[in-house]
Amino acid sequence: MNNDLLKARLNLHAVLRNLEDLPELDTRAAEMIRAWRLAVCFSVHGGPAATLEFSEGRCRHHAACPPHPDVKLFFVSPAHLNAMFAGNSSPLPLKGFSKLGFLKHEFAELTRRLQHFLRPEPERLAEPAYLRVHTLLTLLTGVFAVPHLAALDPVATEIAAATPRGSLQFVVDSEGPVAHLVYSSNGVESRKGALEQPSACMWFADWPAACRILSGTLDAFTATGKGLLRLDGTIPLIDNTSLIMERAAGYLA
Amino acid sequence: MHTFDYPQSRMLFDRACEVIPGGIYGHFSPAPLGQTAAFPFFAARAEGARFQDVDGNEFIDYMCAYGPMILGYAHRAVDDAFRNQLALADTVSIASPRMVELAELLVERVAAADWAFFAKNGADVTAYAVTIARAATGRRKIVAIRGGYHGTHPWMQAPGHHGIAEDDHRHCIRIPWNDFAALEHVVAEHEGDIAGFIATPYHHPTFGDSVLPAEGYWQNVEALLRKHGIVFILDDVRCGFRLHRGGSNERYGFHPDLICFCKALANGYPIAALVGTDALRTVTASVFHTGSYWFSAAPMAAAIATLQELDHVDAPRLLEIYGRKLNDGLIRIAKSHGFTLRVTGEPCMAYYRITDDESQMLHQRWCAECTRRGAYFAPHHNWFVSTAHSDADLQRTWDIADEAFRALKTAA
Repeated sequence: MNNDLLKARLNLHAVLRNLEDLPELDTRAAEMIRAWRLAVCFSVHGGPAATLEFSEGRCRHHAACPPHPDVKLFFVSPAHLNAMFAGNSSPLPLKGFSKLGFLKHEFAELTRRLQHFLRPEPERLAEPAYLRVHTLLTLLTGVFAVPHLAALDPVATEIAAATPRGSLQFVVDSEGPVAHLVYSSNGVESRKGALEQPSACMWFADWPAACRILSGTLDAFTATGKGLLRLDGTIPLIDNTSLIMERAAGYLA
Repeated sequence: MHTFDYPQSRMLFDRACEVIPGGIYGHFSPAPLGQTAAFPFFAARAEGARFQDVDGNEFIDYMCAYGPMILGYAHRAVDDAFRNQLALADTVSIASPRMVELAELLVERVAAADWAFFAKNGADVTAYAVTIARAATGRRKIVAIRGGYHGTHPWMQAPGHHGIAEDDHRHCIRIPWNDFAALEHVVAEHEGDIAGFIATPYHHPTFGDSVLPAEGYWQNVEALLRKHGIVFILDDVRCGFRLHRGGSNERYGFHPDLICFCKALANGYPIAALVGTDALRTVTASVFHTGSYWFSAAPMAAAIATLQELDHVDAPRLLEIYGRKLNDGLIRIAKSHGFTLRVTGEPCMAYYRITDDESQMLHQRWCAECTRRGAYFAPHHNWFVSTAHSDADLQRTWDIADEAFRALKTAA
């Protein structure tokens, strides 16, 4: 298995993708990108590509590079991209040399803001607003990691193959449907938002419960017994998805 | 109809979580119940076909402890046999005469058995059977049915489960149930390397419909295994003594080399048995397998009393009659409310699923509504009936089911 390729896909499509949601959840991030109008493309030789498109105070993540991005950052290999995400390497800018200052300062600040929420200091989790953003982004990272794990992690591939076809909705009681996964004969797809008739539903009683369950500080057996977690519908869909999702930590730790 | 609350169960669960990982572990965990709030977690007492939880709510039990209870809770003859043996000797430094008597009884009633061996749980004997198959053949691979359950030993766990290494199931090949061609294929593909084939008498997975053996399936399997010298292991842990007094293979007309019994063997007292043919006697004696409580005599006395009582009441016939009546009634009641209840597997331990909603959320809600009115239904495991279930229980169950369907419609 090529760990670097899977890790690169997770970095681009599960972690970096969160920049799409961050400005909608965090006023400071929204303020940062308010005037940005550009498309930044990440392109990996022999690997994945992704684009972050900033305009009108919003960020959109695309799983490909457009023909004419404002900035194109090239990586010679998946390992090169992963090294940049670990803070140990720099990309090769192929386009947008005039934006290098922006990338080094403003864009870097935005990614640090994302990291601030994804890698929490324990005391920050006492703040409900922070906990909500952290947990939502963690959940979305997990949900968007599943299709890539199911495609490239050998054990996850085996689990996904044994998973019933259908859809799994993630719901936080106070928030409503957050995201969902669809298992079909074409593979696994992840999306934000609600499904009309999911095959299964993983329901969290509140954000603190979701945070503890997703971080592994509260097990699902205890949580279901205490009414903090409910597994509705096709339970093997939930069981198998949890097993797949847990494998993301081995690549992103 | 009164619906139940569970404050004492919940308080106990909170205490349990402080000192037991997950609060309640394994197949008793509330996690797969779906509508967890509708279920009791802790029982205070049990008698006949009913148990009472710690909140004083009474349930007609259709899980029968997930199989061990077959004659009813607190069965006088079985409990007396257990208590009498306990007063004489239970776990001592040498074996008990009850062990010989129980082995003789099993050899007498189970046609495929020339000897018996005792342990505590189903997995003790499924694991032993597989080891014996490997010792007898000098081969590595075990063929099992996809979705079949034979315990929680690593070799039987699905990939990716916590604490399971890839190598743990490297020599376990899973094939679809009732697919004789698939078995032929793996036997050809791994010619000379397959030690054993293990399966339940019919397919009864959790989270899925049960499927009976296709016409001629077992006979074809047996012939193929004989031809290739593969040890034929029947996991009769769940079905054993419910379908036939001599083992479920008698019901379906085939002849395994090894049969694993547990659950109903002693009506709830802890004991499992592996029985086998004379051809495997010597190799079995050479495969060392033991446990601290595997010579405990009181459960052996309970098993002897259970087997005698099962014969006395002709248990398989009674169970089938009750199961058929229960199922026909539930199907009819569901239909009267516009729902379709699918019932699969053998009538006395059938799997139930409302098919009007593929997600099974509707089925989970119905089981929850029944349970909080006093009929204990787990939504994703086959149910069990016992010889203690009465016509009064049957009528009460139908009444509960009827009101539960009405509650579903009201909620909708």
